This record gives sequence, structure tokens and C-alpha cells, in this order.
Amino acid sequence: MSTNLAERLAELPQLLSAHVLLSVAAILTGIAISVPLGIYAAQRPRLSAATLNIASVIQTIPGLALLALMVPLLGGTIGYAPAFAALMLYSLLPILRNTIVGLQGIAPQIRESARGIGLTGRQRLWQIELPLALPVIVAGLRTATVWVVGAATLATPVGATSLGNYIFAGLQTRNWLSVLFGCLFAAGLAILLDQMIRLLEVAVRDRRRPLALAVGTGLALVVGLSILPRLIDLDARGEMTADAYGGAAGLAGTRVEIGAKAFTEQYILAELLERRLSAAGADVAVRDNLGSTIAFDALASGEIDVYIDYSGTIWATVMDRPAPVERHRMLAEMTGWLHENHRILALGALGFENAYGFAMTRPRAEALQVASLDDLAPLAGDLSVGGDPEVFTRSEWIAARNTYGLQAIETRAMDSTFMYSAVRDGQVDLISAYTTDGRIAAFDLVVLDDPRGVLPPYDAVILLGPQARTRPGLSEALAPLVGRIDAELMREANRRVDLDRQTPAQAAAWLDGQLGE
Amino acid sequence: MIDPAAPVLDVRAVAKTYPGGIEAVRAVSLQVRRGGLLALAGESGCGKTTVLKMINRLEDASGGSIVYEGEDIATLDPVALRRRIGWVMQGDGLFPHLTVRENVAIIPRLLGCSRDETGQRVSEMLGLVALPADDYADRYPAELSGGQRQRVGFARALAGRPDLLLMDEPFSALDPITRDTLQQEFGALRKDLGFSAVMVTHDMAEALIMADEIAVMQAGEIVQQGTPADLLSRPANAYVSGLLETPRRQMRAIRELGA
Repeated sequence: MSTNLAERLAELPQLLSAHVLLSVAAILTGIAISVPLGIYAAQRPRLSAATLNIASVIQTIPGLALLALMVPLLGGTIGYAPAFAALMLYSLLPILRNTIVGLQGIAPQIRESARGIGLTGRQRLWQIELPLALPVIVAGLRTATVWVVGAATLATPVGATSLGNYIFAGLQTRNWLSVLFGCLFAAGLAILLDQMIRLLEVAVRDRRRPLALAVGTGLALVVGLSILPRLIDLDARGEMTADAYGGAAGLAGTRVEIGAKAFTEQYILAELLERRLSAAGADVAVRDNLGSTIAFDALASGEIDVYIDYSGTIWATVMDRPAPVERHRMLAEMTGWLHENHRILALGALGFENAYGFAMTRPRAEALQVASLDDLAPLAGDLSVGGDPEVFTRSEWIAARNTYGLQAIETRAMDSTFMYSAVRDGQVDLISAYTTDGRIAAFDLVVLDDPRGVLPPYDAVILLGPQARTRPGLSEALAPLVGRIDAELMREANRRVDLDRQTPAQAAAWLDGQLGE
Repeated sequence: MIDPAAPVLDVRAVAKTYPGGIEAVRAVSLQVRRGGLLALAGESGCGKTTVLKMINRLEDASGGSIVYEGEDIATLDPVALRRRIGWVMQGDGLFPHLTVRENVAIIPRLLGCSRDETGQRVSEMLGLVALPADDYADRYPAELSGGQRQRVGFARALAGRPDLLLMDEPFSALDPITRDTLQQEFGALRKDLGFSAVMVTHDMAEALIMADEIAVMQAGEIVQQGTPADLLSRPANAYVSGLLETPRRQMRAIRELGA
């Protein structure tokens, strides 16, 4: 068995169980809200139209956006709560709609017959209307289940563990086995739950008690087995903490949550932080694949304790400053601002910059005689630039476009995983590359000069949250990393993951070895 | 307590005005004597079904009063009232997700009969409508013919042993042969059990054949009330004559053929 497969399998109990618990809780809550609401609304045409409209609007919000929106709506909380809230909202429409449609679809004659022979409102509902609407309601429930189990993979970027961890991490590190794991298990789980609900309906309809019992046991088993890894994890954590107390390390017994955004470098650096903090005795958890601003919000609210961000990103998107300034001034101003406004400690720069830069293949750059962004303006109408969806909305791109006269250039948004091979294969002329990416050297790409200095510096900085900064030993454990990682080291570590198919943990171990003691 | 000589049902000048001022029923008075069958006849929209629904309070009257077995129904709990009075609908009104047994057992169960008693009642009722329980009790309505479903509808309505049965076009969805058979069976059943009935129908021939008394309604009012013989010999106006014309013409045609 390959290392990759073994590692993926080792992750399975945690990811699958978290996915099951998140989805099942969201669906059950969705049922508890939408079935009674549907019953109430079914006899009130205006209310049913209004609730269905609201639920439909929620449904049209793309899943990822709905999940991300929940983070600010819940006051910057990341993790289980926003994922649960969004998925629960997502499950409402199909169940609500089918409850209303199912009840309204009962023949008026049958309703009247039930009243005429002397059934009370409650008896009509439970003995006649709900049983008759059940197949339609269950169809809605099955739709909701498949949707929610699928959409729960999107819980990963808001900090909730799910099978999406496989997919997001796999996409970023081009680990297709990992992506496949996420997809297969999410699909398998959706099919399993869907079929269980179907069998349960058959059992209820045909009054087959043994079948109902079997399916009920099956469902209980799925949920029960999902709770199990959490209990074991808690036990293990308890023991580890106890062990750590035995050692003399400075952070013994302290729990530290490390955050990471969703790209290779962040995974490696999170692993590096974890190595250093664990060595100091801390009980460490990593929350990776966080959305860019979600990571910052989570640090400010204390959901995570430490992560690596980049000065230019903080400058433009958090501090909302229009124009970049010189590198050292930016670091200093940012450090002061973070302390003043969020009590966040910028512990120090790691030593490398991961800037946005515009990269072309060397042959293409030579053929077009392009060396800097200044040379692009006359050619802009014939060129296309690839970049991740975020970059084209950021002030850096807008500044570069306006300053260098690139309005005519065609922009093509794509996942950052694919853009390096897209430029290598000539599908786009240039890309907004990250300057520490291992593929720049590997694919022989040239990063164009920025003679007018519109692209801000992007020093990687260790940020500690308001509570974390006060914890004794934490900054001491991480301070030795400041100024020790240059661009070349980082690029090599990234390359090992992106091209040599090492895991982020392996690359972090290598990087740690290079730093010495 | 119940006076055998008093009418089972005494409808006194009831009216029904819907919101918006539409007067569906105006000052209708009727009596149903014990063991009698009153037919409410007239064209669609004349208010006959509304009168029927006011009797078991599926609709509440906006004026007048209805006395059932000596009690003003406005003072009774509507649900308890409906359980005392049998109800048969156009089509059959059976619950498609319940078996024949469960459909018939509903009212005895609601009335608090024991399981054994309910079971006995179901078998008895199915026997009365010529659907032996052994063969039919465990079927679903979809597995029966239209006539069989209507029979189950009667069995369900009679399972609570009501002394009054309300019927809304009970035979109209059936083919002519089944309709004739069921009409005759119903007559025999009524003779056996002795219940009274109010039947809404738009079919004048059916009213003439089955009813002891007919009330003809037009535009929310009763235009004539009397025995079938009264109506045939002395129709009150052109509208009643018109309604009687169709069965008369059919009878004449048949007589000429047989001559």
C-alpha cells in the first residue's frame, strides 16, 4: 500500500464521522423546522407562497457562498456552527416544498370525507393527510439528504471538518487520490442515506416492522459509529496531555489551534508550526483549508490561535489601504495596526515573500520580447491572463491593470492548481503566479518585473491571536522561525509537494531539517 | 328520551350567506320523519348540497336552526355530531391508504368500541353490503370496482349505527346497472336497519324511485315538497314539471316499446 493511500485511509474515520454528524444534524433540524412549517403553511396560500419564495432564494445562493456568509452572520465564528446553519438552511426548501405540495395535493373529496365522518383536525392530519402526503414528503427529504451530504464537503473552507478536507487539500496539492477519496465517500454516503430513507418509507407504508427495525438499527449504527472516533479522539487527547505534563516542555497541556488557508504553502507552514508547538508540549490541532478572510476573522475572534498570513494581503483586504508602500514600512505599519485594532501580535516575518507576480513561459516571453509589465500594454488586446478567482477582484490586479494599461487583456479565472500547467501548455499567455510556487522554476516560467511598484510586498508573517499572544511559551516556541525561511527554501518545499507528490507533513519535516536547531 | 313520533330532523328556516353576500340557501324548512328518506333534488348550484352540509355542520348556517333528535345542533360539538350521523359522499370518499377493514373500522374506533367489538362490527357491516369480510377486508380501495367501493362507503357510514344518514349524490358515479343494483340494495338495507336518510341528487328518476318525500330546490329555495306521487300529479310550477319531464319521457318510450 502506498504512503498516500495509507495516509488517506488514516484520515477516513475522522473525516467521514465529522461529515456524517454534520449532515445528519443539519437534516434532522431541517426536518424539525420544515415539516411543521409546511403543515402550518399548507392551508394558508399566502404564507405558503411566501415561505417557498424565501426558501427558494436561499436555495439559489451557491453552497459555498451560503456557507461563507454564515461566518460573518454568526459574528466571525468558524467551524461547526456556520457549516451546520448553512446546511440546515439548505435542507429546508426540498422538505418544505414537498410537505406543502404533498398536503395540498390530497383530493378535496378525501379531506371532506375525513371531516364528514367526524375526524378532528389532529386526527385528520395524523391519520389521513400526513400518511397520504408521506411519499411526497419523503421524496423531498431524499433530495435534501443528497444535497446536504454533497454540500457538506463545502464545510471545509469555513473550518468544519468534513470529507471536503480530502477534496480541498487534494486540489491544492494535486493529490488526485485525495480528491477521489472525498468524492467517492461523499457520494457513497449520500447514496447510503438516501436508500435507508427509501427503505424506511417502504417499511412504514407496508407496515413491515422487521424492515423498519433493520433500517432504524442501520441508521443508529451509522450515527453511533460516527460518534465513536470523536470519543476515542478525546481519550487520546487526554492521554497525550497527561504525557505532555510529564515532560518539561513549556507549553505542556496547552491547546493550540493552528489555522491554514487552502494552498500548499499554507499546509506546509501549518505542519511546521505544528511540529514546533508539539515539540514544546502543546496539544495541537490544525484547521486547514480556511477561506482567506475567514482565517483572519477566526484569529481575531480567538477561534484559531496562530496562522501565517502575508503583509500585502492584510494591507489590502483587512486594513483596506489603497496603495502599497515600501516593504519594511508596510510590515511596521501592519504590526502596529493589528495590535491597535485587533490585539493581534505579528510575531515576525518568516523571511520570504509570496507575492503576486505575472509569469510567462520563457520561450513566449522571448518571442514577444517581454521582460516587464511595461512591455505588455501594446500587446494587451491579444493576450489572456489566468488567475485564481480572487485575484481579479483584488486591488493589486486593478492597480496593475490601470497603471500598465492592461484593460484590453482577457482574464480567465481558474483554480490556482491548474493555472501553472495552463500557462505552460499555452492555454493562457500569462498567469498571476505566487512567487514561491515550486512550479515557477520547474516549468521554467519568467516572473515579469514591476518597475512602477504597484504590486505590494507579501512578507509571510506569523500572527498570534489576542488570547494566544498572552500564553506563556507560545511566542517563544515560534520565534526561532522568524527570518529563517528564504524564498528558495519555501519554493523547494512547495515543489516537493506540488511536483514530487510528497505530503505537506513530509515537506514540513524536510523544511524543519533545513532550519537546524 | 327520544320521542318516536317526533321527526328525526327538523330544519327551520335555515339560510346560508357566504362572505361577499352570495345567498346560497334562503329560508329552507324541512322535516325528516323517522325511518323516512328525503331526497333533495334540483340542478347543480341550487343549494341542495349546502343544506346537507349544514345538517352535520360541515357548513354553519347563517340563519334559522336545525333540530336533530330534539337538540339544536348549534349547541352540539360538531365532531361528536358528525360521528352520530352517517356520511356518504359522491364517489366514495374512502381513504386510499387504508384497507377496507380500516376504513370501516374508523368510526367504531372513534366511538371507543373495543377491538373485538370493532372487528365484529366490520364483519357485520361488510356482510350487510354483500362484501364478505374474508374476501374483501384486507383489500385496498384501489383493488375494488366502483360499485364495491360505494358499498364500502355505505358500510363505513353505517358502522357507527347512526339513526340518520346523509348522502351526497351516492350513486351518481356508477354505471347504470350497478346504480340500479345498489339503489335496490340500499332500499333493503334501510328497511332492515330502519335508519332515516337525506339524499342529495340531481337525478329526478332516482328521487322518485327511492324517496318517501322529495324537496325540489331552485336558487336556494324549496319550490315544492311532497311525496313522489304528489309531485307527479301536481307539479307546483314549470320548473318542477321540467325536472319531471325527462323520467316521464323515458317511461313513455319504454312502455311503447314493450306494447
